[in-house]
Amino acid sequence: MSSDHWRRAGAALAVAALLAYPLAASSPYYLDIGVTVLLAAISASAWNILGGFAGQVSVGHGMFFGVGAYLPLLVYTLWGWPPMAGIPLGMLLAVGLAALIGAPTLRLTGHYFSMATIAVAELIRILVGTWGLVGAAIGLQGPATARGWWDLTFRDETPYYYIFLGVLAGVLALTHALQGRRLGYYMRAVKAGEAAARSLGVASRRTKLAALALSASLTALAGSLYVLKTGFVDPDSGFGILVSVQMVIVAALGGAGTLYGPLVGALILIPAQSWANSWLGGGGSGLTFVLYGGIIVLVARFEPGGLFELRRRMLRWRPERSRAA
Amino acid sequence: MLLDARGVTKLFGGFRAVAGADLAVADGEIVGLIGPNGAGKSTFFRCLAGDLVPSAGRVVFDGDDLTRASPEAHARAGIGRTFQVPATFADMTVLENVMVGAFLHHPGAREARARAREVLDLTGLAPLAGQRAGALGTPGRKRLEIARALATAPRLLLLDECLAGLTPVELRDAIDLVRKIHRLGVTLVIVEHVMEVIVTLAQRVLVFNEGHVIATGAPREVVADPAVIEAYLGRGYRERTDPAP
Repeated sequence: MSSDHWRRAGAALAVAALLAYPLAASSPYYLDIGVTVLLAAISASAWNILGGFAGQVSVGHGMFFGVGAYLPLLVYTLWGWPPMAGIPLGMLLAVGLAALIGAPTLRLTGHYFSMATIAVAELIRILVGTWGLVGAAIGLQGPATARGWWDLTFRDETPYYYIFLGVLAGVLALTHALQGRRLGYYMRAVKAGEAAARSLGVASRRTKLAALALSASLTALAGSLYVLKTGFVDPDSGFGILVSVQMVIVAALGGAGTLYGPLVGALILIPAQSWANSWLGGGGSGLTFVLYGGIIVLVARFEPGGLFELRRRMLRWRPERSRAA
Repeated sequence: MLLDARGVTKLFGGFRAVAGADLAVADGEIVGLIGPNGAGKSTFFRCLAGDLVPSAGRVVFDGDDLTRASPEAHARAGIGRTFQVPATFADMTVLENVMVGAFLHHPGAREARARAREVLDLTGLAPLAGQRAGALGTPGRKRLEIARALATAPRLLLLDECLAGLTPVELRDAIDLVRKIHRLGVTLVIVEHVMEVIVTLAQRVLVFNEGHVIATGAPREVVADPAVIEAYLGRGYRERTDPAP
């Protein structure tokens, strides 16, 4: 078989495994890990469009996640609408926010852009935490019991698993389509060298803004999915720095700027995080920071390209064999 | 005139890197900009490419005033350029690098890829199409920069020391490529401090020294100009070669 056949067989196997997982998961605990993996993969894939492909490392994507998480519960709390109706509103608001903060922050490069995004996200978290309309520090709650299927409130997590899997497939398909189009090439060119890209006619600011808007809207979608499942959001779980950092870590671990990197990163990080938390019991969230910090150090020191880059380098060590395959 | 730059001045703080330089380039010409290190030719070049906005003066290209236009507007107007230190997109393949240029006039990926392949054939890079640009050596990267700029279909190509640091064989290949591009109808402005190269390529040269154009004319005449010899080699050299009668 050629390497292309192997790749196709591997992909088919991975898809089959993802589809069959809820049937194999022996307990709600394992099913919950599966759902959390998919959610992390969706949000990190959304982040990856701006941070991975266009090279603008946002550490404030929690602001878009939070907008997406709040809107469904806000329309439910204010008007009794099904939370689902808040999803497009959240995505639209995230695009608006992206346009507003993108204009000034995308002028900054490298670390300065990252720091500006942290500052904006923290500012929004604090503002939301003091704003009574959106529940201030207490947050918002969804319908306790479903009024109908449209509330998307299920006791079992299996429906969420398949909804999230479908959305992830959509996000990956969109990313793949983007990679083959002019905007995708322009984003990679801006990342690789902004001055050179501009000399070839690439309008770099417009390219970065487009990447930010697309990335923000999909991150908001991830936030909405999260809140449909949990039925609850507060400033920390929506806009907290941990939300922003997780997207960066998941994508960087698997390989930022690659199509499947965020999914691979989520498949490794989320179970590791979950097991580490259950071993050490109550003090879990503190340990999460330690785990994230450790991964940042390891990835930055040994393999800034993530696991996908590592794999590529290992394949290059034995080019004869891979060519013969 | 295709390119008409008048009184271009660039100040960095109190330092006058370029002091009122003029350059008029006709369609189809090859013009060389030479001068010792620090003479201001690269700063002048960057003003022409839209990298820097001149402190004074005007740059008009094909009737359009581009003095304050962005680098991408220069590309759209029909000015291509290379960088002194090659700035190829390291993580993209050679073909993808050229496609980024081709997208300027071919928004569809299929057309851009086809156009990029034509340019790779022309520049002799076709065998390397699938390689990562970062894996190329310096001569390959310089050639790729030219190919990438060429894919934007420029009427004027600005080359910044694209021939420096090449071995004699590489140099001959590069000169052949520049001649080939010129035959396609592309006008060229070449910055170089290697005098021999310019003398064989350019129809006309401008010599920069201390921010001023100190000589202009056919290469053979210019290299014999006492002011040029002095700028390059210092006053002592001139006195030795030009003994008092």
